[in-house]
Amino acid sequence: MDASDNDDFSNDVQSDDDLGYYTESEEGKQDQGVSEAIWYVIDANEISAVQEKALQDVMGIMGCSRSIARTLLMHFRWSTETLFGVLAERDKDELYKLASVTSRSTEIPSCSGSQAEVACGCCFCDVPREETSDMGCGHVFCNDCWSQHCKVQIKDGRSRKLPCMGVKCGAACDEETVRQLISDDQEILARFDRSLLESYVEDNAMVRWCPSVPHCGRAIRVEGEVHCEPECSCGLRFCFACGEEAHSPCTCEMWKQWKEKCHDDSETKNWMTANTKPCPKCGKPVEKNGGCNLVMCTCRQAFCWLCGAATGTSHTWTEISGHSCGRYKDEADRRIDEAQRNVKRYMHYYTRWEAHMKSSKAEAETRTSTQEKIAALEDNTSLLKDYSWLSQAQEQLFHARRVLGYSYVYAFYMFGNAMFREEITPDQNAINQNLFEDQQQQLEAEVERLSGLVEMGPERIGKVEDQLRLQVINSTININKRLVNLYELIENDLLGSLQFSVGYIAPYGGKSTLRPDRATPTLTTPALPASKAQDEDLVDLTGLPSSEPALGRFQGREGLRSGDAAKRPRRSGSLD
Amino acid sequence: MASKRIQKELQDLQRDPPTSCSAGPAGDDLFHWQATIMGPGDSPYSGGVFFVMIHFPPDYPFKPPKVQFQTKVYHPNVNSQGSICLDILKEQWSPALTISKVLLSICSLLTDPNPDDPLVPEIAHIYKTDRQRYEETAREWTRKYAMG
Repeated sequence: MDASDNDDFSNDVQSDDDLGYYTESEEGKQDQGVSEAIWYVIDANEISAVQEKALQDVMGIMGCSRSIARTLLMHFRWSTETLFGVLAERDKDELYKLASVTSRSTEIPSCSGSQAEVACGCCFCDVPREETSDMGCGHVFCNDCWSQHCKVQIKDGRSRKLPCMGVKCGAACDEETVRQLISDDQEILARFDRSLLESYVEDNAMVRWCPSVPHCGRAIRVEGEVHCEPECSCGLRFCFACGEEAHSPCTCEMWKQWKEKCHDDSETKNWMTANTKPCPKCGKPVEKNGGCNLVMCTCRQAFCWLCGAATGTSHTWTEISGHSCGRYKDEADRRIDEAQRNVKRYMHYYTRWEAHMKSSKAEAETRTSTQEKIAALEDNTSLLKDYSWLSQAQEQLFHARRVLGYSYVYAFYMFGNAMFREEITPDQNAINQNLFEDQQQQLEAEVERLSGLVEMGPERIGKVEDQLRLQVINSTININKRLVNLYELIENDLLGSLQFSVGYIAPYGGKSTLRPDRATPTLTTPALPASKAQDEDLVDLTGLPSSEPALGRFQGREGLRSGDAAKRPRRSGSLD
Repeated sequence: MASKRIQKELQDLQRDPPTSCSAGPAGDDLFHWQATIMGPGDSPYSGGVFFVMIHFPPDYPFKPPKVQFQTKVYHPNVNSQGSICLDILKEQWSPALTISKVLLSICSLLTDPNPDDPLVPEIAHIYKTDRQRYEETAREWTRKYAMG
């Protein structure tokens, strides 16, 4: 690629900014101080190192044992910030009390019985003092009882904050003492250690296991904003807030309901009530496929479609002989109408959702085959040619297809009259829907266009391709822009205008690789080895000198800094 | 461990029986006891004798015993199956507690119901809003099921 090409391209980007509806206000919105979602992948073998770091931080500042540090951190969901915040406001004793920690300094001296022998409060035996332990809270029991108690608790899944045996004491046992007490049982010991280790993920508001099946063993840590869609190193992209597959732009609640709806057969049932009646004789559902109200079941039983009662077979257009149920049942009809409308509506959104998800899979397949082709070409030719535009376009397509798919789920709930009925007037709803569908359609059209272009791509690789290249790049940027706009419309204008309901979506995590202002790889976390691996993943397919930031690199497969959409105003700061 | 400790508890109960309750194995099985509780004098259960069934789990005392009324009781924290809603029988159980302490706790629960954590919300509601009606019904049930 030469310099002039690149200039052309930059110009394209500039002019492209005119697209969409919200460009004018975009800069202003960006300036609002809103936390962005940043996340890291933690490999299975790194969990203990990451956890250790948090423990060391607390041990260093509090000057306490590892066990106490762990108990404190578990109490504060592994947020050192919260912990130190509370420490700054209150004193250490209060902090300890909050987390049910008893330190040696607050030990209650307890001596029952003579100096040499102590009556264990659990087995009621007299035992030599050296065969007893306490957990810092002053409740002395014999080691045998402690050992059994710990084992029972660990087996019951209470390894974390294992409680003291004292009546209504609740102090957390010291983990080193526990380890000694259960050291004779390796299996229990392993279970105990594993549970403590996994606490870092399971008791941590900002860390979640990757939901892959079978589980890849990794966890994801986010910073700032939990509504994001990280991509694990195993390739799975998921919604951090709900742990389900990535589903933006529809909200977690919408996705949950959609999944349930698609799984159960409630729509089938609805269709049955709308379109069939049970035969009064054999009970089979009968669909009326036209004609008058005298219906014949396959079992040869005739019945009246209006009331469902068995009748004779002789009839006229207006009545069935010997049968009069002629009263018009307004209510029943309305119910059937509504059921029919609902089914139609659901089918409309479902088919589109499904079509886009299927296309998305197809795009993924084309992407693989194209990449193979590019790789082969790059091996063969000594000239370094840049084909990143093609792979990036495919990446974008794959992503845009998914977003389009989920946007139908979103529309199903957003503009249906159930979820936000109390908040949005029918008129406003109609305006919203128009606005949304307008953008959705434009995006859809652009996606189809790019899809067509990209399909031509592999055929023409190595031949005259400049024209195609420019078209593809423009279309890719265009789609990106439209995606950003769609997310903004949803976040700021549609969900953002809600007063009472809460609807958050993950910010647009688009593959914004082609935006010159976003081209720098964004994540640098020297603290975590995981990020190093990610940096290596920034594959430079292009062979471009890195001084060309606009096109040079994949911005990490993660599209980490979804900067484009990070400007939504947050209404709650519940992320401590 | 479990049977040794249960034996000890039994000895203690026999040596120093608590007022208003008694307990011991129901048959040959040491892990299955029956206890009786006298309705506390300052409660509508006064004069009644309530039978209670106690089951010791194999890892007693590290797990709580299962305790159930066999006699019908009209009480916000006791349901029609005789199940008792009492913290020390669940999450607040401690191996340092004994059957004798549990029975005493049940006695005080009879005197002072805990309507804020009810097992039978209807009775709790009546207890809170119409104390007289609650006491009358409790007395009637005691007469009907816990006497004679």
